[in-house]
Amino acid sequence: MTHPVVRVSELEKRFPVQKSVFRKATDFVHALDGISFDIPPGGSLGLVGESGCGKTTTGRILLKLLESTGGQVLIEKDGEPVDITAITAKDDLKDFRSRAQMIFQDPFESMNPRRTIYDTISEPLTVQNIGSVAEREVRVAELLQLVGLTPPESFIFRYPHELSGGQRQRVAIARALVVDPTFVVADEPTSMLDVSIRISIMDLMLKLGQDLNVSYLYITHDLAVARYMCDRIAVMYLGKIVELAPTEELLANPRHPYTKALISAVPVPDPTIERPPVEIKGGISRSINPQARCRFYDRCPFAREDPCNTNDHPPLDQVGEDHWAACYLVEEIASGAAVADTGDDRSPEPANSRDRSRT
Amino acid sequence: MTTDLGAIRSGADVPVGSPLLEVENLIMRYQVKQGEVSAVEDVNFTLHKGEALGLVGESGCGKSSIALSLLRLQAENGEIVNGEVRLAGTNLVELSEEEMRRHRWNEMSMVFQGAMNTWNPVHRISDQIKEALDIHWPEQLSKADVRYRIAELFQTVGLNPDMMDRYPHEFSGGMRQRAVIAMALSCNPQIIIADEPTTALDVIVQDLILKELKRIQEELGMSIIYISHDLAVIAEVTDSMAVMYAGKIVEYGTTKTIFGGMRHPYAWLLLSSTPSITGPRRKLAPLEGEPPNLLDPPSGCRFNPRCPFATDRCHEEEPPLEDIGDGHLVACWNWEKVPVGVQAGDVL
Ligand SMILES: Nc1ncnc2c1ncn2[C@@H]1O[C@H](COP(=O)(O)OP(=O)(O)OP(=O)(O)O)[C@@H](O)[C@H]1O
Ligand SMILES: Nc1ncnc2c1ncn2[C@@H]1O[C@H](COP(=O)(O)OP(=O)(O)OP(=O)(O)O)[C@@H](O)[C@H]1O
Ligand code: SF4
Ligand SMILES: [Mg+2]
Ligand SMILES: [Mg+2]
Repeated sequence: MTHPVVRVSELEKRFPVQKSVFRKATDFVHALDGISFDIPPGGSLGLVGESGCGKTTTGRILLKLLESTGGQVLIEKDGEPVDITAITAKDDLKDFRSRAQMIFQDPFESMNPRRTIYDTISEPLTVQNIGSVAEREVRVAELLQLVGLTPPESFIFRYPHELSGGQRQRVAIARALVVDPTFVVADEPTSMLDVSIRISIMDLMLKLGQDLNVSYLYITHDLAVARYMCDRIAVMYLGKIVELAPTEELLANPRHPYTKALISAVPVPDPTIERPPVEIKGGISRSINPQARCRFYDRCPFAREDPCNTNDHPPLDQVGEDHWAACYLVEEIASGAAVADTGDDRSPEPANSRDRSRT
Repeated sequence: MTTDLGAIRSGADVPVGSPLLEVENLIMRYQVKQGEVSAVEDVNFTLHKGEALGLVGESGCGKSSIALSLLRLQAENGEIVNGEVRLAGTNLVELSEEEMRRHRWNEMSMVFQGAMNTWNPVHRISDQIKEALDIHWPEQLSKADVRYRIAELFQTVGLNPDMMDRYPHEFSGGMRQRAVIAMALSCNPQIIIADEPTTALDVIVQDLILKELKRIQEELGMSIIYISHDLAVIAEVTDSMAVMYAGKIVEYGTTKTIFGGMRHPYAWLLLSSTPSITGPRRKLAPLEGEPPNLLDPPSGCRFNPRCPFATDRCHEEEPPLEDIGDGHLVACWNWEKVPVGVQAGDVL
């Protein structure tokens, strides 16, 4: 049996809301509230959802850049699942970093402006003591070729400011791949790039994913991008996965009311298509000490006192082949027995919807 | 409020559907150490009363530069070297700074790119809107009038007036952007220029803001210039549109006509590289090559180094923006070669 490359179960992350350095925190941001998913070898899972729902937190925990406060993350090593919390020894950590890598949103921030492209890409090799200097140079040139920065010799000794945004993102990809990882977390890797450049970066990641059998966790707020990049999509809302399904199935047949709203809000590049109204209510979503009820309760147009408010958050139940949704009313909504009521609140964004500036 | 606004509110008499803002042969360049940045190069378009017009193109193509030139608010090193910007017949380019100030905000105002992040964190939202009213409203307003006006504006943009004395950090991103729109509406302009009004927002919030703008446009008979890098947003909210590349308009017409068949290679490729969640999942086409350097733009057609259709003529002669039928304007020597009804990813 082949193991998934990544298996996440009941992952939890709470950040204390510190009122003063001398007092113990009593309030917590529930950034992740028990999420579970698998990524098979060579698979790509898209993590989508509004700002602040916990996407980056998930990615950082998976790569041991942040510690969880509960749950388990298993990442495959030589065909066996390894609990990442057990990786503590320096050598094991190095080995882990050669299997799991991250590509960040802002390629400029993740690069030292005073180091050349060669330094940047070879750094993981240097840190992990892989190869001689000459071998590293060959490897870096190989990767520059792979990511389309050709001829390599004209790029290898440049500095980040001498590259365009798209070229810098290619360098970031080369750097993540230089150690031959089996798993890559890509956190909004193209959201700062122009559409035309975006496509070549996405195509590059798709191709490398296939050729090198890399598995991705692809974080994006853009469903259209997730559709292009991922074979499965997990939709998050306030620290919970509310729906999980193969990409085309999710888009054609969304079952959770939040997923439905999200899909219907995406603008369509065709003026002859009139989108249906977005069914979602106003109200403020709280991630600090959330109440024991469906996290979407305040904004759900279908919400009912019973069962949505009287029970804790619904479990992620199977609703179709490889299709999962966390909503008590899935069946009633599908049959039309539950009717949407969006109210007439005219100030409807959640106060935690943070900005997503491009620059 | 007794001031005779008639003198500056010339646009108010323009009937819906008639030309309100006419931009003709506009050229604006920035002076920098290395030379001249040709950011707005011979741009022509007309905004009709009650219409929404879109300017779309990628980063650095000159969208904000056009917007700022219309209000004569371009950076100090930028100069309008040619052209007219006629607002209900008055050429704004020729006005003195003093006269221009009277038109700004009262007739034409702007939602600046990224403005929702530039609220001063230490002042209440109401005080910041008051400041704008104090500067731009043609007469002195009493304290009560100001508060009444702000409450009215909050209602218009879908904010609860009770929120007006709060501080910016108490607002979500979407609420701060609504407040920016309220500020732009403060002096009852005929025209609003919205520069990337939803770029930093989540899609659901974007949808709400765009719907609000649409409603304001319809209810107040407002004309809006939308600026966006996102073709999908432009498709949804505009009546007519201009696609820009390297400081120039390369395709122009009604939004329906243009989406019915883009004939400029750049516009066609831009659409072909826009992912969508509707329709079949298709291969997207990347745009090869580097964005142009506006300090030294390519001779001939500015798109020629990246154009899959380029011929010898494209390297030598600049194609004019010409009507290819029904008011659909295209600036390309080879527009007939651009296939209709097919996307680049399917054929290239
Ligand atoms: N270091 C931290 N301390 C306290 N709270 C945090 C910290 N990091 C994240 N959070 C909170 O955890 C929640 C999830 O944040 P996260 O950055 O994972 O969201 P996201 O989905 O990546 O959002 P975006 O789309 O804006 O990047 C948010 O409420 C955020 O404010
Ligand atoms: N003050 C300035 N001095 C010199 N060059 C400038 C100045 N402001 C803008 N530019 C240049 O003018 C060109 C057009 O810039 P502009 O800001 O109008 O682009 P834009 O289409 O609005 O881009 P974006 O989508 O990134 O906002 C760019 O090449 C830019 O670098
Ligand atoms: S004029 Fe030539 S180079 Fe320019 S877009 Fe048309 S075919 Fe391409
Ligand atoms: Mg994030
Ligand atoms: Mg701009």
